Amino acid sequence: MTTFVQLLFAGVALGAIYALVALGFTVVYRSSRVINFAQGAFLALGAFMTSWLVLSENLPFWAAFVVGALATGTVGLLFQLCVVRFAIGRPEFTIVMLTLGLAAVIGALLPTLFGNNPRGNGDVWGSSAVRLGQYQFFWVQVWTIVAAIVVLLAYGAFTRYTRYGLAMRSAALDPEASMAVGIPLRRVYATAWFIAAAVACVGGVFLGGYPNSVNPTMSNIALIAFPAIILGGLDSPTGAIVGGFVIGVIQELVQGYQPQHAPWLGNDFYLIAPYLVMILVLLFRPYGLFGSRPAERL
Amino acid sequence: MNEPGRTAALEVSEVSLRFGALWALTDVSFSVPEGELFAIIGPNGAGKTSMFNLLSRVYDPTRGRIRCFGADMARLRPHQLARAGIARTFQNLGVFPQSSAIDNVLVGRAHLMRAGTVRAGLRLPFARREERRHREAALEALEAVGLADVAHRPVGILPYGLQKRVELARAIAMEPRVLLLDEPVAGMSRSERQEVVDLVRRLHRERDATIVLVEHDMNVVMGLAERVLVLDFGRPIALGSPAEIQADPEVIRAYLGEPMRTEAS
Amino acid sequence: MTGEPPPAAGALVGTGVDSAVPVPNDQAQPGTDAGQAGPRADRTVGSPAHAAATSAVGRPESQPPSPSGTPGVPPAKRPVRRVRWVTGIVVAAVAIGLPFWVDGYWRSTFAFVVIAAIGALGLDVLTGWTGQISLGHAFFLAAGAYVGGYLGTHFSLTAAIWIPAGGVVAGVLGAVTGPAALRLRGLYLAIVTIGLVYIGYYVLQTWTAFSGGPGGEALPAVTFGSWNFANGVRFLGHTFTKNECYYFLALLILVLAMLYVRNVTRSNLGRCMVAVRDRELAAAVLGVNVARTKIRAFVISSVLAGVAGALYGSFLGFAVPSDWGLILSIQYVVMIVVGGMATLWGPVLGALFVVGVPALLQNVSTTLTFLQSGGAITPVNAANIVFGVFLVVFLLLEPRGVVGLTQRISRTVVHRLDAGGRRWGVRYR
Repeated sequence: MTTFVQLLFAGVALGAIYALVALGFTVVYRSSRVINFAQGAFLALGAFMTSWLVLSENLPFWAAFVVGALATGTVGLLFQLCVVRFAIGRPEFTIVMLTLGLAAVIGALLPTLFGNNPRGNGDVWGSSAVRLGQYQFFWVQVWTIVAAIVVLLAYGAFTRYTRYGLAMRSAALDPEASMAVGIPLRRVYATAWFIAAAVACVGGVFLGGYPNSVNPTMSNIALIAFPAIILGGLDSPTGAIVGGFVIGVIQELVQGYQPQHAPWLGNDFYLIAPYLVMILVLLFRPYGLFGSRPAERL
Repeated sequence: MNEPGRTAALEVSEVSLRFGALWALTDVSFSVPEGELFAIIGPNGAGKTSMFNLLSRVYDPTRGRIRCFGADMARLRPHQLARAGIARTFQNLGVFPQSSAIDNVLVGRAHLMRAGTVRAGLRLPFARREERRHREAALEALEAVGLADVAHRPVGILPYGLQKRVELARAIAMEPRVLLLDEPVAGMSRSERQEVVDLVRRLHRERDATIVLVEHDMNVVMGLAERVLVLDFGRPIALGSPAEIQADPEVIRAYLGEPMRTEAS
Repeated sequence: MTGEPPPAAGALVGTGVDSAVPVPNDQAQPGTDAGQAGPRADRTVGSPAHAAATSAVGRPESQPPSPSGTPGVPPAKRPVRRVRWVTGIVVAAVAIGLPFWVDGYWRSTFAFVVIAAIGALGLDVLTGWTGQISLGHAFFLAAGAYVGGYLGTHFSLTAAIWIPAGGVVAGVLGAVTGPAALRLRGLYLAIVTIGLVYIGYYVLQTWTAFSGGPGGEALPAVTFGSWNFANGVRFLGHTFTKNECYYFLALLILVLAMLYVRNVTRSNLGRCMVAVRDRELAAAVLGVNVARTKIRAFVISSVLAGVAGALYGSFLGFAVPSDWGLILSIQYVVMIVVGGMATLWGPVLGALFVVGVPALLQNVSTTLTFLQSGGAITPVNAANIVFGVFLVVFLLLEPRGVVGLTQRISRTVVHRLDAGGRRWGVRYR
């Protein structure tokens, strides 16, 4: 039982990160109709930048965190303004490949700028944990969940109660009509990308916490988040969040139990379990659990 | 009307189509005997294109049944329509802009061609003969619409009117028994319209084809159609000869609305 | 709809115009190479696609008039055909003579280029012509490599068996994956293909008996009877080094593959692929069997990937599972985008770019210190940055890739020449 609860908790913590990554994907998708394959790169970029600010530049963690998030957000914003903007209206394939191009460039720049070695994320919790009876919960994981919830609530409030949030929702539904009523699409899209990248940074910093580290392969985490957004449906933020937590829990549970019960599946089966789940779901629901089939005019 | 013993080319029985809470079509019934030129008209949003999409198996009817030469169409998947003898043109232009006109028309012959990855890939004699045969047929179709001299131009650069004619050629090349034309003169100039009208009339006469037409332009419809179905908000409100429906008060009301009540009346 | 097809890359060359050229020798139609609305120039100045079209298959003889006497489509003028012939011969001469003019380092690089071109051609069929986004090419490459390697090592079969076998197994996997594309559009398909790569990677890591596990395994060299490529082969009085052997074998396979793809894209299947790419729903209503078309595209693509993978693994001699990751898939996509989608020569040029750039950077790292180990940036990372930048630049500015670029340039050149010629009372064409 202990194991189960610990695994569950770890799953929720991991799921929180996936939820953040998935949210970032959905935000961009709803505005630009595009999967940002560079989301993982943003995550790694944010983590590396924050870590560097703390460990090399000796900023206090929270300050570094904020600066890192702002900086990463700016990178996303710039990419939208300088690249994605010119590809609006082009086929999906084009924009997908643009983001992959960005991912490749960031992926190559990070080891060049920061080196290949894993390092700590510079957070203030390290490996400390809180003990409740026989259970041990790492503070990093606790704060991951807290931070994720805060970010998700903030985003929810932003979309629902602020003008920019409303503008973003409107632009997602009908860009042309939004333009017609005077919504500044360029600013809206730029904001969406900023948010997505900043959120990725948050995810990245927490992902780099104990027992993991900040390292160049971090960006792959985004690829594991894909099943999360597929489960939830590309255009549904709620779905993305739900999907994120579900995938996180599945992953941890599989990692915990599979080696004993089905060792023939291999050592790291938990890495592809989400993908198998995703493929299964897509076979029955080609647009995800909550996604909607796009209308096609004949 | 149907001669006894002759199956209708198309028979639509009490068909309704619903999208969520919206009923696009309600209780539409009509039957098109073989060789007739039938038109479906109605104000915008009346459900004409929905009806066409039902006929081309893009949607399944929520209720009712559609039969083509007696066979229930419900079991047909879109790509089996061609073999069933149904060809259609599209309101929003279904041409493939990157391909040449003749290649567009040849797509219509795709269901008649057998050579596949092996025979075509190795250019075996069977494939070459088949290709030549169908190319000639495609060229004939283009000639029938007067576009033989632009056969090798990419369709995307052709003017809109010519693109629609390529689509028509493609539909003809499918050697259909029933031809569905979705707004064939939309967006055309007066002279272009006349050309298309003459073309459709000629097709109808020469090939004895069953043609179902959806159109907004009243003159075109009245000049071409033998019988007309009028839809309004998805419901059939009149069915008869052009003269009959022109005089039908329901039709007039649907298009022009009620006369305004003023203080005096 | 979310599933919009890839951009109009090279389609004018690949389908619109190429397919407007009837297959020579049996079509009694005038050279319809002039079928474009714009100046016919882009078909005259030996643009690679047409050099390939004519030189590879044979010269279009002076064409008798078509049966229906199609007006407005003049036959190819003699200077046009002469230029094409010359270009064709030059290309062939370069291709055959290349290994003898360069040193060993570049010989092996060019062998890799030709091998990659085979795989890229497959991806072009799937993505360029049929419009299916696939990031799973690495999976099929790996399948070919490991299946081929397994058969070659454990059963001591000749390469004449295990290379095609790698292709066939990859093709079967492609046929199984193809149906996924039927239900999924655009982005969803892209994500599933990524999943495929991950699952493949995982299988390779876990199924140690087959793949040698994370440590990797040796893959056998190509053998044909008494010939063993690893030791060099004596043929026609010349001793071919390992690099040369692989280069020529791959070149032969590439030429055959290009012929095959050319035939397919000009056939009914090719037109159906374009129809599925451009307007899938309309295509279905017109009678195109979309499912069969997509599956066939997947199979052709994965067979070519399997063959390329088998050659690649064998040439490398050793492979680890991490060789076959998402980066490899992305590199192949870069090949077709930069080279030119829906063209025959695009994949070749793209392969030249993607394989050549890292090789070049590696080569010049002796002179450029910042590329050396311990320097500011590794050649691999520098190469990836170049790829990313070029990908973005080409996607935004020249979606038809290098082939499209050459068409654009040749069109301008001939336009100028034509204008200049007219001024002097001389007609270029």
